[in-house]
Amino acid sequence: MVIFFVLPLMLTVVWSVFERTMFWMEPAFTLFSYENFFFSSRLENFISSMLHSSISVVCAFFIGFPIAIFIRRRVKKVAQHRVMLLFILPFMVSEIIRIFALRPILSRNGVVNSFLMDLNLIDTPFSVFVFTPTGVVIGEIVSFLPFMIFSTFLALEAIPNYIFEVCSDLGVNRRRMFKDILLPLAAPGLFAGSVFIFVNGIGIALIPTILGGPGSVNAGLIATQAIIALDFPLAMAVSAIMMFTLMGLLYLGHKLFDLTKLLEPIS
Amino acid sequence: MSQTNAIEVKNLVKTYGDVYALKNVDLNIADGEYFVLLGPSGGGKTTLLRSIGGFIRPDSGSVDIKGKNVDNLPPDKRPTSMVFQGFALFPHMSVSENIGYGLKIQSIENNIIENKVSRMMDLVGLTGFSKRKPHELSGGQQQRVQLARALILENDVLLLDEPLSALDAQLRKDMCIELKRLQKTVGISFVHVTHNQEEAMSVADRIAIIADGEMIEQGTPKEIYSNPKKKFTAEFIGEKNIFNGKVLDVNKSTILVDIESDKIEVANKNYKISKNQGVSLSIKSESIKVDKVKVSKQPQENKVIKGKITEITFLGQFVRYLVLLNNNQEIQVRSHDEVSNINVNDDVMLSWRLEDFLVHEG
Repeated sequence: MVIFFVLPLMLTVVWSVFERTMFWMEPAFTLFSYENFFFSSRLENFISSMLHSSISVVCAFFIGFPIAIFIRRRVKKVAQHRVMLLFILPFMVSEIIRIFALRPILSRNGVVNSFLMDLNLIDTPFSVFVFTPTGVVIGEIVSFLPFMIFSTFLALEAIPNYIFEVCSDLGVNRRRMFKDILLPLAAPGLFAGSVFIFVNGIGIALIPTILGGPGSVNAGLIATQAIIALDFPLAMAVSAIMMFTLMGLLYLGHKLFDLTKLLEPIS
Repeated sequence: MSQTNAIEVKNLVKTYGDVYALKNVDLNIADGEYFVLLGPSGGGKTTLLRSIGGFIRPDSGSVDIKGKNVDNLPPDKRPTSMVFQGFALFPHMSVSENIGYGLKIQSIENNIIENKVSRMMDLVGLTGFSKRKPHELSGGQQQRVQLARALILENDVLLLDEPLSALDAQLRKDMCIELKRLQKTVGISFVHVTHNQEEAMSVADRIAIIADGEMIEQGTPKEIYSNPKKKFTAEFIGEKNIFNGKVLDVNKSTILVDIESDKIEVANKNYKISKNQGVSLSIKSESIKVDKVKVSKQPQENKVIKGKITEITFLGQFVRYLVLLNNNQEIQVRSHDEVSNINVNDDVMLSWRLEDFLVHEG
């Protein structure tokens, strides 16, 4: 814990207040990097990347959770893990290639647009699918959806079958089953999946690099660009801000929803 | 007990692949009766219970509850509630939420639910536990919550699927007494599945023995225990002394059966058997008397056979003798007092009353 979490975190904070030199940095105490972050478009980018990540989390929930429920409830027990395996297959392909492959699919002349045009559903192709924040959100959903499915499926798998039998004996309808039973019992999995997608959404530079336009820069990309510009203190400052933001959000979530209750062992 | 039937099962058949889980089972359960389905694991009793509850759709046959056919109704539309095996509670809900959930989903007003829940909690002995979560309860308490959750819906029949199997022996005994008391209080029919004959005997008004998907026999606990009609029943309730034989002679008061080495005469209790039929005999180990062979006293005809002691075990309340008979079968004798001067390898005489030997078909 100390070696892998506290120490890197402290180093990040310490380095972020160092002074920038030509190729590296030297010990000092300056808030220049933070100024550089907060009084530039970087702050705006950072906030919008959090917004985009949140949208991705919500979309992944609405797409992924029903898939997990379907697999748990409708697929035969023996086949469930095989179906889950299907969602691992995309990871056999490098992430760069996977995300890059979205370009020809989503672009103006891409597969999706030509398909919609051929069906005469639209007259002019959509241009919002790539090189826009929408493209980034789509990329994030495509990349991270399996994690939402995995984590919620694992939580649902832990629900014993008798729960569903009791529900059918009591006459619980689908809506109530979702609200009263599945949602609360899968909450730990939903939480884990959401945190994972949110963190990666603001942290992974690859997706906005490949699918984002000028307006879609996330924290990971800001840090990467800073490193390319050899501004290490700024990169550290961005990382530190990212971590403190996440800690703050977790704390807020804890205050609002009582995470210990959420994660307390059921059964 | 009134005469109307709470449950009428006719000719129920259920197969899994080539295997029969239920073979043409008929069953009538009276209103307000505590009925136990007893049998070995995998014998079909749970399948029968689940068919009554609507969790399993039988291949053919019909189930009527309170005179109404329920074959096409799902579990929640049938006038039955189920208590499941193991501790089937909603883990994230408190005791009172668990009990009241069945009413809550019917959109019943909160204060009515609260009233009913607290009455139910008093009834099953959980007063003061309303805020607890299932994992903070003992096994027995969790089963009480399940009982309350099922009974609060005020259905005509309560189905219990091995409700006590996860509890330890002492707790199971206590819960048996409570279940019986509870059933008398609420007055509805209980159908209870178990493989434990002691549990069955202690709660049931009537018992059905079910094995290999077939109804072996039905009767009151006393009938099943002291006068089982079928050999399977005798074996299942723990009879150790069972002999296969052939009927040599039948007359009004007695039957003579050949068990290879010896001929045994038993009282004829209106058995429907005929000469040369294969039957089995059983006798309770406490009904046999063991005596040392005395040279002067010749064994009386029929009621006495000879044997040789192979083992003497002191069991607290009883002394158990294992006696080897002439046909090389061992017979068990349990006696309250130790018979003096009997040792292993001694020749002994075994005696009993005519009516203590029972004759079973098959």
